[in-house]
Amino acid sequence: MKPGDAATAGRATAKPGAARVLLLVPARTYRAADFLLAAARLGLDLVIGSDGALPLGGLPVVHADPGDPDRSASRLVAATESADAVVAADTPMLVLAAAVAARMGLAHNPVKAVIAATDKTQQRRRWAHAGIAQPAFRIVASAAPEDSLRQAAARVGYPCVVKAVSLSASQGILRADDPAAAVAAAGRIRRILAAAGRPGNEPLLVEEYVPGWELSIDGFLDRGDLTVTAVFDKPGTPEGPTFEETVLTTPSRLPGHVVSAAVRTAGQAARALGLRYGPMHAELRIDDRGGRARPVMLELAARSIGGLCSRALRFGGGQSLEELVLASALGRRVSPCRLPGTSGVLMLPIERAGVLRAVHGRAEAAAVPGITGLTITIPIGRPVYPLPEGDRYLGFVFAEGEDYQQVERALGAARERLHVVIR
Amino acid sequence: MDLADRVATALERGILPSIIARGAGIRVAAVQDGVAILEVTGSPGAVLPLASRVEALIRAAVPEITGVRITGPDAGPPGSAAGSLAKRARRVLDAEINPVIAAHRGHVTLAGVDQGWVRIRLEGGCQGCSLAEVTLRQGIEPLLRARLPDMTGLVDLTDHEAGTQPFFSAEKR
Repeated sequence: MKPGDAATAGRATAKPGAARVLLLVPARTYRAADFLLAAARLGLDLVIGSDGALPLGGLPVVHADPGDPDRSASRLVAATESADAVVAADTPMLVLAAAVAARMGLAHNPVKAVIAATDKTQQRRRWAHAGIAQPAFRIVASAAPEDSLRQAAARVGYPCVVKAVSLSASQGILRADDPAAAVAAAGRIRRILAAAGRPGNEPLLVEEYVPGWELSIDGFLDRGDLTVTAVFDKPGTPEGPTFEETVLTTPSRLPGHVVSAAVRTAGQAARALGLRYGPMHAELRIDDRGGRARPVMLELAARSIGGLCSRALRFGGGQSLEELVLASALGRRVSPCRLPGTSGVLMLPIERAGVLRAVHGRAEAAAVPGITGLTITIPIGRPVYPLPEGDRYLGFVFAEGEDYQQVERALGAARERLHVVIR
Repeated sequence: MDLADRVATALERGILPSIIARGAGIRVAAVQDGVAILEVTGSPGAVLPLASRVEALIRAAVPEITGVRITGPDAGPPGSAAGSLAKRARRVLDAEINPVIAAHRGHVTLAGVDQGWVRIRLEGGCQGCSLAEVTLRQGIEPLLRARLPDMTGLVDLTDHEAGTQPFFSAEKR
């Protein structure tokens, strides 16, 4: 096939006048399929930028390396010619998407704000400056002696949480209840960072452990104003030493005034980072020490909810969250009106290290009333690692029901029917 | 509530959102002799991989149902063109698609052609790859459409969860 044919073939399938979206898809994302389906449903003319996709000759695929944003941005701008929106399908492409949108003159988040949102130390500093409620924290330099770490932990108080600043999905996060545990946690996290190929000078975050109900808030920013798409409860909020996310259910069961306060805090936190446009995902705890419910920011990302969790959400007209993300990026009015009922997702944790040999009972789990989907996302035969070393989940189970009790029962029953063999 | 209504309710409550999310729709066309006949609209290729789940769900919710048959919109009678379409589809796969996909240890096999629907399986590095959908919808499908104007649609029959050597694996972010 000649290079010219590629463009011809691609254009032949795009509807005349269709909005053009540059979608940046990292190679190791769960979300490529959902974004492509969303684009197809919206009838978009799609250009893909990716560090992994093959330029097969159908629709345009442009090589995009998030580790080399300047050259990648130039290549993407030149190859795309023009676009009505630039969207990152997942975290690794967020900074590049902002840089490309800036060059194309499209509404975008400042690149510095997006970078700040990917670095937990910058988040903490900016939120401290803006007076956002968050755990007490100290930043410990990579080369700092053990004594500095002990002092930092003593300042925030025990129990504390030691965190890698650049990892996500609960990887590289450990609770420590005393000085020895804090030192041990730091050593273990530094080994995880080294294995993940992170720079050796990356600091660690030591922060106060905040007990309380955990929730996440997803929404869209438009000129800094937050429109909420979903508030997920995290029943069984982990207390450590690792912090697996397992069950999420939405809508939240918390009283309206608590949710409203959490939404206000999340919006303020996003603005404090400098974020103004596009999806955001915030994680908070409701600190009820002292007799009043106070939302406390844990983390925030300039993207929608990760993994396959968005499949637990469905909006008016059967729209997916990815459709809303694309429509919002195009400046279209989105109606984040969720379909009635409660939905939930169970992220199947990896309980021990080894090689994944089998997952039995899938059909039985999928047949549990209320279960609407079950996907195992790690291939059989692959080595697997639990948190804090692991960076992925075994799979996702989805459920719908009339209330959260029904959804949690369905997810629990499905989990009981799954037998995971790791040796 | 008759059987068809109960099947429709089970579909609506249990699986319709997932099907809509995959770019398709599904409705109960009839219930005959205990067999639920479901008609798929939109992109049947996005639904057929869910067939076993649809059947399990309906049989669990409506025990009187003994079987489920999924049909697509009528694409015209099968004829001699089907054989010709299969040959041409295989030629495009072998000449233009598989040599490129081989770079990622992948391979596409033609599983069959039925009433204009070209059914394929992704294998090797493509099976379970986090970018398989990009390869499929942004590469293979438009190329086949450009080369085979009489193709009604492309159906991916791949069991991606069974892939053991995906070229890219997803990470939770």
